[in-house]
Amino acid sequence: MTRKILLVEDDAASSAYVAKGLQEAGFAVESCGDGRDGLFLASEGIFDLVIADRMLPGLDGLSMLGALRAANIRAPVLILSALGTVDDRVKGLHAGADDYLTKPFSFAELLARVEALLRRADGAGAEPQVTRLTVGDLEIDLLARSVARQGRAIPIGGREFNLLEFLARHAGQVVTRTMMLEKIWNYHFDPGSNVVDVHIGRLRRKLEEGFDTPILHTVRGAGYRLSLDG
Amino acid sequence: MRISITARLALLAVLLSLVTSLALAGLIWQQTHDDAIEVLRRDTAQQTDAFAAVYRSGGIPALAQAIADAQADDDSLVAVLIDRNGARRLGVGPDRLAFAPSAETFRVATLGTAGEWAGQEAGVTIRPLGRDWLVSGRLLDDWERTQRNIERALLLAVLLSLVLGIGGGLVLARYVTRRLDRIAGAVDAVAAGDLARRVGTEAGGSDAFDRLSLRIDGMLDRIDRLMAELRIVTDSIAHDLRSPIARLRARAEAAATASHPQQREVALAGLIAETDLVMRMLAVLLEISRSEAVTRDMLVPLDPAALIEEIADLYAPVAEEAGLRFVVALPSEPGAQVRLHRELLSQALANLIDNALRHAAAGGEIALALERSADALRFSVADRGTGIPAADRAQALSRFGRLDRARSLPGAGLGLALVESVARLHGGRLELGDNAPGLVATIVVPF
Repeated sequence: MTRKILLVEDDAASSAYVAKGLQEAGFAVESCGDGRDGLFLASEGIFDLVIADRMLPGLDGLSMLGALRAANIRAPVLILSALGTVDDRVKGLHAGADDYLTKPFSFAELLARVEALLRRADGAGAEPQVTRLTVGDLEIDLLARSVARQGRAIPIGGREFNLLEFLARHAGQVVTRTMMLEKIWNYHFDPGSNVVDVHIGRLRRKLEEGFDTPILHTVRGAGYRLSLDG
Repeated sequence: MRISITARLALLAVLLSLVTSLALAGLIWQQTHDDAIEVLRRDTAQQTDAFAAVYRSGGIPALAQAIADAQADDDSLVAVLIDRNGARRLGVGPDRLAFAPSAETFRVATLGTAGEWAGQEAGVTIRPLGRDWLVSGRLLDDWERTQRNIERALLLAVLLSLVLGIGGGLVLARYVTRRLDRIAGAVDAVAAGDLARRVGTEAGGSDAFDRLSLRIDGMLDRIDRLMAELRIVTDSIAHDLRSPIARLRARAEAAATASHPQQREVALAGLIAETDLVMRMLAVLLEISRSEAVTRDMLVPLDPAALIEEIADLYAPVAEEAGLRFVVALPSEPGAQVRLHRELLSQALANLIDNALRHAAAGGEIALALERSADALRFSVADRGTGIPAADRAQALSRFGRLDRARSLPGAGLGLALVESVARLHGGRLELGDNAPGLVATIVVPF
């Protein structure tokens, strides 16, 4: 089934760029350029995801979001904004946005977040209490916080376990560095060096040393993906 | 109608001095006043009634006799019959009355214009008898005179204080106006563009106006510094963004003209990397200017040790990968929560650690420490690199202030400026010190 995405963005160039990219990734995209139209379209309840600019003519993104939530439309909403400081992001998330992305962004980042949001929306309600995650030959016990690959226990603890759990929950999808910084460490700034890569490198050594097949892949220009097939 | 502040001040001063003097006069009057004059008035009225009755029954001879009898008993007696022109016809009193007679129940006055009658006051009632006037009463005794004097002095004092109040009010208003004008003049001059103008002090910094002046001067200093920084920033943005943008352009050109797909791929990847660098510079710049606008109510109570542990958790592996020891030192006892901005403070510490990573000598160590003194938290990051010479430290703190030695290393040159503005947001400061060898950067947050 093709997923429907509503894109509310007043800047024609970036709207076309995002719409084209999403269509190429296999989504059906409908776009409009002002908040009132966006609210009208979204109220139909046929969209799986709404991507909205924060500053829109007619009705700004956050107000539109508030109106949608008031109308009991539960589709995940991703806010795009040129207001990129930490406090802006926190404000956006507090306003009920499911995710917040600062302009300019790379398309890979946007796509990764869109897929993560859709996956989360699917998962909500379906399997409320997952206690085990399995990715190929990798097994993660969320209760015992233990990890095994091909039956061999791998000692992974603390923050590294959270990182692996996050990757496993998005198995097969690209997870970007900023997503990990936001979700694992709860930092909304760009540390500016390769901190996430270092953590991933350590995790990868533990997961892959002594095994034939790689499982934690680097996706160039985007982030990382946990899956058995390259 | 709007009254100027000067006029209001003067009016207030007058009012205050009037109220004060009236209260004082009232108190004195109340303490000293008794009924002596009132008794005199009553006696006088009775006496006058008696004389008038004598006159009505016996005419002028009977009245003259009665006055003579009365005078024998009382040498302070005044009882005189005055004709229409004010001349004495008979009785005890001045030859000529000092004022034109008119029917009065009671008055205290000097009756005569010459002789012994001019020097003494008497309380009298004046009543018409036929075509003449009967002036009858008594000379004031010592006590009554004192009473009169006190009352007169009190009245004089109230009047005097009114005059002094007006004078004082005017002087006060002029003084306040002059001091205010001085401050307003300086502020106007700054508003008009003369940023170097200051109010300065007049009384050696000791009075309230000088304290206000000093505060305003402090504010103007900060505005001046911010303006200077802004100028430097715009200059530096132009300067520092020029080279990455030039590189960006070169890469774009290379990509556009590349004949081989693989060359184009490399050029495009480089293009993205350069764009990211420019974006990061802009993001940090934005964060700095925003952090200076963040109000202190965005700070929330946090455990500073937890904040340090979290950032250490993020960076310890990075330091170890780089072959450095990463040491974290926390206070032995858990302390109270402190109002902090978690994200900005974490980012500031991340910047310091990032700097330390970049400058630490290989095989050295990076020490992240939290110290808690009686009134401040000290977050410090120390490395064993080459450090920053004391003379260069101020420049290291300014935006884009990359030291020439560091020009060759990657980085936006905004790190320490962000750290400093975060420290300022917390009401604190950034200190750069010597780790002998190396640099120790400390964010001091008072609480």
